Amino acid sequence: MVQVDQTPRAVGTSELFLAAHGISKTYSDGTEALKRVDLEIHHGEIIGLLGENGAGKTTLTKILSGLLPPTEGRVESPRGSVRFASPREATDFGIGMVHQHFALVGPFTAAENVALSHERPFTRIRLAKSLERLKALMEESGLHVPLDVPIEKLAVGEQQRVEILKVLSRDVDLLILDEPTSVLTPLEVDNLFELLHKLRGQGKSIILITHKLKEVQSITDRIVVLRHGELVGNVRTSEATTEHLARLMVGEALEQAADAVELRDDALPVRRDEVLDDIEKEIVLHVEKLVSRGNTGEIAVDGVSFDVHAGEIFGIAGVEGNGQSELVECLTGLRVPTQGKATIVGTDILGRDPREIYRLGVAHIPEDRWEVGLVLPFTLAENAILGIHRWEQFRGPLRTIRWGAVQQHVRALMKRFEIRATGPSAPAKSLSGGNQQKLIVGRELAKDPAVIVASQPTRGLDVASAKYIRDLLVDMRNRGRAVLLVSADLDEVLARSDRVAIMYEGRFMTVCRPAELDRETVGMLMGGVTSGAKEVCDE
Amino acid sequence: MSERELLAQDIKGALKRGLFGLSPIAESLVAAALGLIIGAIIMALSGFDPIVAYAALLKGGFASTYALATSAARATPLLLTGLTFAICVRAGMFNIGAEGQMYMGALAAVTLSYFVLPPGLYQIVGILFAMTAGALWSLIPALLRVFRGVSEVISTIMFNWISHFLAFYLIAKILVDPARSSQTVRVPVAARFPILIPRTDLSYALFAALAFAILIYVLLWHTPTGYEIRAAGLNPRAAKYGGIKSKRTMIMSFLLGGMSAGLAGAAMAMGTPPSYAVFAGLSQIANLGFNGMAVAMVGRNHPIGMIASALLFGGLAAGAREMQISAGVPVEMVGVVQGVIVIALAVPELLRIFRIFRKRWPRLFGRRAEV
Repeated sequence: MVQVDQTPRAVGTSELFLAAHGISKTYSDGTEALKRVDLEIHHGEIIGLLGENGAGKTTLTKILSGLLPPTEGRVESPRGSVRFASPREATDFGIGMVHQHFALVGPFTAAENVALSHERPFTRIRLAKSLERLKALMEESGLHVPLDVPIEKLAVGEQQRVEILKVLSRDVDLLILDEPTSVLTPLEVDNLFELLHKLRGQGKSIILITHKLKEVQSITDRIVVLRHGELVGNVRTSEATTEHLARLMVGEALEQAADAVELRDDALPVRRDEVLDDIEKEIVLHVEKLVSRGNTGEIAVDGVSFDVHAGEIFGIAGVEGNGQSELVECLTGLRVPTQGKATIVGTDILGRDPREIYRLGVAHIPEDRWEVGLVLPFTLAENAILGIHRWEQFRGPLRTIRWGAVQQHVRALMKRFEIRATGPSAPAKSLSGGNQQKLIVGRELAKDPAVIVASQPTRGLDVASAKYIRDLLVDMRNRGRAVLLVSADLDEVLARSDRVAIMYEGRFMTVCRPAELDRETVGMLMGGVTSGAKEVCDE
Repeated sequence: MSERELLAQDIKGALKRGLFGLSPIAESLVAAALGLIIGAIIMALSGFDPIVAYAALLKGGFASTYALATSAARATPLLLTGLTFAICVRAGMFNIGAEGQMYMGALAAVTLSYFVLPPGLYQIVGILFAMTAGALWSLIPALLRVFRGVSEVISTIMFNWISHFLAFYLIAKILVDPARSSQTVRVPVAARFPILIPRTDLSYALFAALAFAILIYVLLWHTPTGYEIRAAGLNPRAAKYGGIKSKRTMIMSFLLGGMSAGLAGAAMAMGTPPSYAVFAGLSQIANLGFNGMAVAMVGRNHPIGMIASALLFGGLAAGAREMQISAGVPVEMVGVVQGVIVIALAVPELLRIFRIFRKRWPRLFGRRAEV
């Protein structure tokens, strides 16, 4: 059990703004997002909310701002009960949130966007008045943005400032910022922090959701750490060390890999002609100085090089959004990188389309199973042949699809991979998340791949399905396949990988064997801190 | 699994994916009943006897061999233009251009009279001409969409107008019948679809339409190409991940759609007695392309369902005359009642389609911009 620090009083003796008592949240699908969290927020303090993906940060802020009812516990304020029907009511109360994905109307100007947030339905829009107020606010806060340019023409940092202005113009007391720096350039980050200091000086409270250790230490007064829905730390920033925070964030214990079950022998074909000892030395996937841009044009992958050998699981750990998705997309033909080289057993793969890459022996378990991995309205049978729908074994006379053969294939998949569904003609959307993922994994492994690229393969799955899929990957490794495992679930990557890289802002912070890493170092590397971290084992 | 089992499975699947928790067939029946009731109320309010009127509608549309033959004749082009829309919706696009593609097909079929061919070849060549013309006319908006990002909705509507006036010009100046300036030259006798039931309009064109519908069904549900078209239509990202080239499926669906509309034009030009020509003003073919979209909606964009819905539309059209003559309902009121029934039937599928397309075009449907 992690020891929880005593809640320190906020800086100064400022008055209480909001208090959460014993907050628990269990979602309807059974996920326990929060467990008995207590938190007090005072006027004029900046709180850093630290935690990995899925630690419960977003849920907590949604409950604090009254947008989500807690399953247990209550949120109170000297001003009255905290329970709102809409973000607008929350802002009326004095709580404003700036989301990671801005809620702005692209073709509207900044002034129009701000005016929009003030209007009630069926009232006249007073743009001139709003413009005046906005200018005054810009002077007061020092936040400057062009007012007469459509939002979509502004840089991301400017858009964020508009979003903040929008919230400030509603005169809020508590400003919640969700990963505000992830889209900003270093200069923009400096400007943002300056602004936050100024706002604190005006008596406003700020909650900063982040996973970056350096940032949280440079700006906040108090740091609250969540892990798996539990509040594991509530410390004054001045008293917190980076190592301590890193340890709090990633936890102490590691799930052991030793309990991987042996799969039934008929689960998968063993490659016929292989002797494990030989291929263990063989480099199957080779990546060299890969550079790629993300969706908004930023450099998402910044010169990454690595090899994955046959019979090896190469893990990539890190907080989501640090370039892992883009890297995987480059390697599977879904994104064209700007620079670099990647080969599969010597054949160049960059810039090829997904079908060619699959022919070279790559199977891909995509991170987004609803939007990419499956065609949800399609049946199980239809989904089971996505990408292999031109296989000879499914081909009937006149180049038709032999659905009979497909059904047989699906029934075999259902049996082998324990996919529970009413039958091959059940729509994929009727399956549970675990069964959907097993369907994808089964389909991909049926390709008898040499390389398996698995991206967040167990995210959102129930414990049993997650374990099953992890074991499958280990089994594939044991059968001589090269596995690239990308996951934000630290326990998963560290326990199952033979070598692991930690990715931060498009780069590998380190590549080494999991045993050579301690939790503290991992936490610091994930948070982008290298200085002070023990020298690690780059090969 | 046999063809029949699959069909049964398709029907079962179709039954399962109903809106409002109803199966599609029950849903359609409820919708039809609602449409009939609202139509009856409108007629009653306007002083007509709805029972007499509906009896006349039924009699004129379905109650005799003649009535059924007339309905089937009306249904033939509607089934084909409906397929144009349905194929493209399955591919994730709105092809509003069946109207213009059909004009081009009809005019291409008429040009047969300038050729001398062995008698047996006329019909085949005519069909090929018409389908090629429709497909080419459809290809341009498809290419614009794929390579330039031009919305196919806008471009197909514009192409309808281009073909509208191009047709006027061709009918008046180029293809004009020297004997009668109000129409084009007539399709040669050897090229006409033989009449199926004497003294009716029903020709063998019906079989061409049915065959094409079945062909499209087989293509979409039983071939890898059709599988790719449907996958790309439902989820372009998953399709790309599955190695499907959505540019290819888009163009393919437009070509098929254009062929279908072209065939509709051929069915009209080569299969409508007594003129076997296209009139100036396009009077006998105008709006068949647009009405086909309604046929597609009511038939849920499924070729087999659309055979039934095309027959219903043919019946409504054929019964309209009887409604006028024996129930004394004016033609405008007949149109109102038909419109109400059609809208009631099409709404569930419209909703479903909009739900799919809202994702694709956030701007058009006013979803917030994710900047």
